[in-house]
This record gives sequence, C-alpha cells and structure tokens, in this order.
Amino acid sequence: MRALIDIIVKNKHWFLFLALEVISLFFLFSHNGYQKNVYFTTANGVVGSTYDVISSITAYLYLGEENAALERKNEQLRRELYELKQAQEIAKSKQTKRMPALARKYDVVQAQVVNMTLHKANNLITINKGEADGIRPEMGVVCSRGVVGIVYLTSKHYSIVIPLINTDSKVSCRLRHSEYFGSLIWKRGYADRALVTNIPCHAPVKNKDIVETNGFSDIFPPGLPIGTIQSINNSIDGMSYLIKVKLFANFATLRDVSVITNYTSPERHQLEEEALYTTTQDSTQNQQ
Amino acid sequence: MNSPFLTRIARFFILLFLQVFVFNHIHLFGYATPLAIGYMVVCMQRETSRTSILLWGFITGLVYDLFSNTPGMASASCTLAAMVQPMLLNIFKPHDAAENFTPSITILGFSSYTLYAFMLLFIMHAAFYLLDACTLINWPLTLLAMISGAALSTAIAVGIELLVRTGRRTELHP
Repeated sequence: MRALIDIIVKNKHWFLFLALEVISLFFLFSHNGYQKNVYFTTANGVVGSTYDVISSITAYLYLGEENAALERKNEQLRRELYELKQAQEIAKSKQTKRMPALARKYDVVQAQVVNMTLHKANNLITINKGEADGIRPEMGVVCSRGVVGIVYLTSKHYSIVIPLINTDSKVSCRLRHSEYFGSLIWKRGYADRALVTNIPCHAPVKNKDIVETNGFSDIFPPGLPIGTIQSINNSIDGMSYLIKVKLFANFATLRDVSVITNYTSPERHQLEEEALYTTTQDSTQNQQ
Repeated sequence: MNSPFLTRIARFFILLFLQVFVFNHIHLFGYATPLAIGYMVVCMQRETSRTSILLWGFITGLVYDLFSNTPGMASASCTLAAMVQPMLLNIFKPHDAAENFTPSITILGFSSYTLYAFMLLFIMHAAFYLLDACTLINWPLTLLAMISGAALSTAIAVGIELLVRTGRRTELHP
C-alpha cells in the first residue's frame, strides 16, 4: 500500500497531466456543437464589442461610409429588380388571377461583420446588428456579390451567422441555365469553394453556369447568385453530380452585409404547419 | 516586477491580447494560424515544478479557448506542450548552465534556442491542428498548417527574445 502511494506521489505530474487532458477533451467534444456554443458567446460578446471599436476605427481607413452607401444602393437596385421580375411574372400568367397582396416583398437591414473565422470546420461570422434591429434566427444574409449565410443566434445587438463555408451549412439552390435544383454544402478546406450535390445525372450541366437560390426555403428569395460552376464530377453513388462551385462572396474581405428580414411569410408557415399536423394525425389514425 | 509570478502574469496578459487581436487574424495559406500563446510554456524556468508548469499550460490554453471559440483544443495542446517542456529543456541544457535558468537565447545560444522553441511549438501545433481536424482526410493541409504555424510562432518567440534582450542590455548600459 505504501509503495503504491509512493508511486502515485512520485508520478503525480503524470496523473495531473492525464486529468487536465481529460478535462480538455471533455470541453472539446461537449462544447463543439453549435447548440452548446452559447456558453462561449459570452466571451464572444466581450470580444465582439472590442472588435466593434476597432472596426469603427478601421472603417475610416477603408472608407467604410462609402462602402455602406454603395451597398445600400446595390440592395435597393436588387430589390427593385426583384419586384419588377415578380410583376413581370404576374403579368405573364394572365390565366391565374392573383391578388396583388400575394406578391412578396422583402426588406433588408444593413450590418457590418465584426468578427469571423475562415480556417475552422465550423466557421462563424459575428455581425453588429441583433434583435433590437429586427434580426431573428433563420434569416438570410447576403452581400453585394451574393449569398453569405444564415443567421443562427441573436443577442440584443449582435448576431452569429453560419456562413456557406461551414460544414453544417446546407442551402437549397438551382442552376440558372437548366433550373435543376440541389443543395449547396461545404467541405473543410478552401474558403472560396463549395459543393452542389443532389443534381441528377440526366440534368444538363455546363461549366461556368451560375448557381443561385431556388426560393423553396423561406429564407432567401429566388434568384440570388451564389457562385459559378468550376468543375463537374460524379458523386460516389453515381446517381447524381458532385459539382464544385466558386463562391461569389469573398469571405476573406467581407465587411458590409444585408440581412433579409421580413421575407418569411406567416401565411405560408401556418399552411405548411397545418398540413404537417393533419398528415401526422391521419397516419396515427390509420395505424390505429 | 521582481517576482517571477508577477512577470508571468504580465507576460500572459500581453500574449493573450496580442494573440486574440493580432495573431488570430494571420491565416497562412488561408489556413494556418500561429499560436504565439505557446511562448508561455517555452519560457518556463527549469526548476519550476512540473505540476506548476502543467497548470500554467492548461490555464493559458483554457483562457485562449474562451476568447477564440476553440473549446478544449488549445488547453489540450498547451497541457501536452507543458508536459514535454522539461524533457526537451533537459536535452538542450548547456553543460555550464546553472541549475535554475530561464530558457533564453543568451543561455541556450541562438541555434539551440530556436530548435528547442520550434520542437516544443511544433508538438503543440500538431496536437492543436489534429484535434481541430479530427481526421486525416485532408492531411497535406493539416501538416502544412502544423509546420507553418509552428515556424511562425517560433519566429515570434525569437523576436520577443531579441526584443527583451536588447531591452535588458540598454537597461544595463544606458
């Protein structure tokens, strides 16, 4: 017994080393999911507000004002284009009479990036607008070049965005040329490339074609550019294409972004939820 | 600031500030970031107890983790570096050195110090990037990150050493 205690006392640093490593690995594997990331956003808040100060100084150096004005102008033009396109579509389909109230519009909130990571598997962006500015989780974020990502967490004055370059990001998209749709995912590595999966093999796919949002989700309006096709390969199962896409958004120099705030339609949401509820009830009745 | 403890605390906060606001924004090849915070472990005195080195390494990593959203990664790799540090320092210890010395260019010599710092920081970066990647699928990129991150951190450590040494000299011979 005494010998055992002697060994433990003599090698106590080894036991301490193991204990500390176990604690570290516990942190690593329990806190690396986004759900458990909330704890770390407190420290992010401190860093975030410091970055805000730093970024307000550097904004002058980079003519931030001018950038923001251009971004606003861009956004206004993009919205006008979108509204015109919708008006055009309504005018085209004269057989179906649609109430004008159903034409969907969207508003944006301008924000600036105050912190971001590029080199991790779970990259996140912090922007300097939050709940006080009407931002809620699940809202789309775009920049003047194209889609950036989706809002994940919000505090009063800051929001965390999951960018396209995050391994958990999945955005439904379509090819502009052929209108076949798939989903855009990202594999760890380069910060300017992503992959499109689930495009069937019989779809005509051309190099340099533009990948854009398809408007199926309630997050992005259709037709927002994401990137251009760089190379086309077959997926592992051979049933679909695996398309490498060069993203339009340049994450390394990203500063001014816009959050699409009121695109979500409560009417559509309610209808879809009712449908889900009815179908689950039907299936339980059938089972009985 | 005569107490080594206070010096260590001051060094810790300065390094943490520089790491979070400067070095975290360096992305070599769009990927590798130097963990200059490892300098805390590099310059641990030889006679410091191993328990104390381990605790310093762990806490350094943990605080860095809190501020850069990498839970557990830096604390695990700093603890590993703290475990290896006394063994590495034993290899590079000059014959005529006193029992208790702080590893520096003056005592170890430029080449030995650089090699010592690089080996220690490489072990730390290797652990960090392996935990970060968790797989070996993209191993060339991970290896590149380990080597370039460790090299840059070594350059930073040597830079700090040279700065401190010139500071000490002017203090002695104003």
